[in-house]
Amino acid sequence: MSFKLSSSVPTDREVVLGILNNSEEALNKLYAGYYPMVLQFILNNNGDEDDAKDVYQEAIIVLYNKIKTGNFELSSKLKTYLYSVSRRIWLKKLSQQSRKTSNIADFEDVLAVDEDLEQHEQKDLQFDQMKVALEGLGEPCKTIIQDFYIHSLSMQEICEKFGYTNTDNAKTQKYKCLQRLKKLFFQA
Amino acid sequence: MRNEIELEAIIEDYLNGKLTADEQKAFEQLRNNDPIVDHKVVAHKVFLESMKQYADVLLLKHQMDLAHEQLDVATISAQVKPHSSRIVRIWRNNKSAIAVAASFLILAMVMLYSIQSQTKQDGSYEELKGEVSRIKQSQNNLIRNFNANASKPHIAPARFGGSGFAISSNGYILTNYHVIKGADSVYIQNSKGASFKVKAFYTDPINDIAILKITDPSFTNLGSVPYSIKKGSITIGEAVYTLGYPKDDVVLGDGYVSSKTGLNGDTLAYQIAIPVNPGNSGGPLLDNNGNIVGVIKGKENKIDGAAFAVKPKYIMEALNSIPQDSLSRRVAYGKRSSLQGLKRTKQVEKMQDYVFMIKVY
Repeated sequence: MSFKLSSSVPTDREVVLGILNNSEEALNKLYAGYYPMVLQFILNNNGDEDDAKDVYQEAIIVLYNKIKTGNFELSSKLKTYLYSVSRRIWLKKLSQQSRKTSNIADFEDVLAVDEDLEQHEQKDLQFDQMKVALEGLGEPCKTIIQDFYIHSLSMQEICEKFGYTNTDNAKTQKYKCLQRLKKLFFQA
Repeated sequence: MRNEIELEAIIEDYLNGKLTADEQKAFEQLRNNDPIVDHKVVAHKVFLESMKQYADVLLLKHQMDLAHEQLDVATISAQVKPHSSRIVRIWRNNKSAIAVAASFLILAMVMLYSIQSQTKQDGSYEELKGEVSRIKQSQNNLIRNFNANASKPHIAPARFGGSGFAISSNGYILTNYHVIKGADSVYIQNSKGASFKVKAFYTDPINDIAILKITDPSFTNLGSVPYSIKKGSITIGEAVYTLGYPKDDVVLGDGYVSSKTGLNGDTLAYQIAIPVNPGNSGGPLLDNNGNIVGVIKGKENKIDGAAFAVKPKYIMEALNSIPQDSLSRRVAYGKRSSLQGLKRTKQVEKMQDYVFMIKVY
């Protein structure tokens, strides 16, 4: 993996189309293409490699959501967009940790991305709620729910996996788990 | 309990669009009639969306982690991490700004240089010798040889080469070296039209000075020269004039000293603003008191009115380097000129007899 941004970076169109088609290859290219840029920014602004990974992945999630909702226009370069989002996220983290935020060393142009980030924060909140709710659910409910809703297993498969005598029992179990999860989720 | 499970399953199928058209219609009916069912549907919808979002993000994070593992983070971070040297850091952070500044600087330098080179007077220099170019001369030589072979009487073409002035009463004439350079024979002609043969007696190519001696038997004494050579440095703004032969008759040119150095800062000469033309070369430059302050030697042909003259100091050096007893009643140096106090017209009138046209063959 060489640090030649120009050679390893896919075109913006490629990325957008790839994301819309859930192409994993496009994601890999995108990820490898702009990681050095964000890493450089974070390392030069009081962060380490783990910070860079977190911030960069969050920025890509923001980009994904924006592209998936269909209102992404190529009004700016993806590079600039990702940089601006990463920058914004990192500055917020820095201020939350009350670390030094003056004298930001910038390496690219910066866009105003506040609106996108507000939406993202809302979604992130939901994500955290769901995560907390699932954690609080306990086994075997957590696995059953994850298998059904996330890994898209059928009730039949779940029944076999967990050794229920019939699918009705599995369904009942799932129902109970779901009710508890919903309660946890909406209460949070 | 059973019903609850069924209801939940129906709601989920409804939200996922898995019901048939009839079932859907029936369910919507139920939903409209029963607010509790409707509430459940809305809540479940929110829940499912959150779950889907959660699943998507989880998948994406998983994929990104895979992608991350393929990267050689250590190498990349070694390349992009803040350099220990402040200078490299500043360079990386401000590449574009530095580039802009540098190009601006280069532009400014180019502009400065062009302005400077405009003021440097590096245009070509033109020696004010009349139409005496080597080529024409050699052509003339050929013509003469041809004429000689044809044994016809040779009539010398009336050509002028430059100007010169007497530095002693017994026929020593000072002119520019470039006027007589490479000449076969040189004649001088006075303001009355009489020609005398001269030969080069002394040449100084560096200061562009030549001293000619009249060898013609018909020459008689000139009488004591009215002017003297000025001692001391010339001053900018001093009014000067010259007499010369840019044409077949003597011509007066009037001007002032405009710079203490000559072409490209040449310290052997200085600059004068005076209208001069080919043929003026070797002519004397005088101040209003009738002192010789230089010898016209050339002009800058790109700039109007920039001519150059040899400094009087070098005229004296030339005079001093020839045997003194050969000069009778030579021109005075640093003495009061007999022209001092006379009007310009009178000065010119008196001087005319001592300024000659140099004709070169």
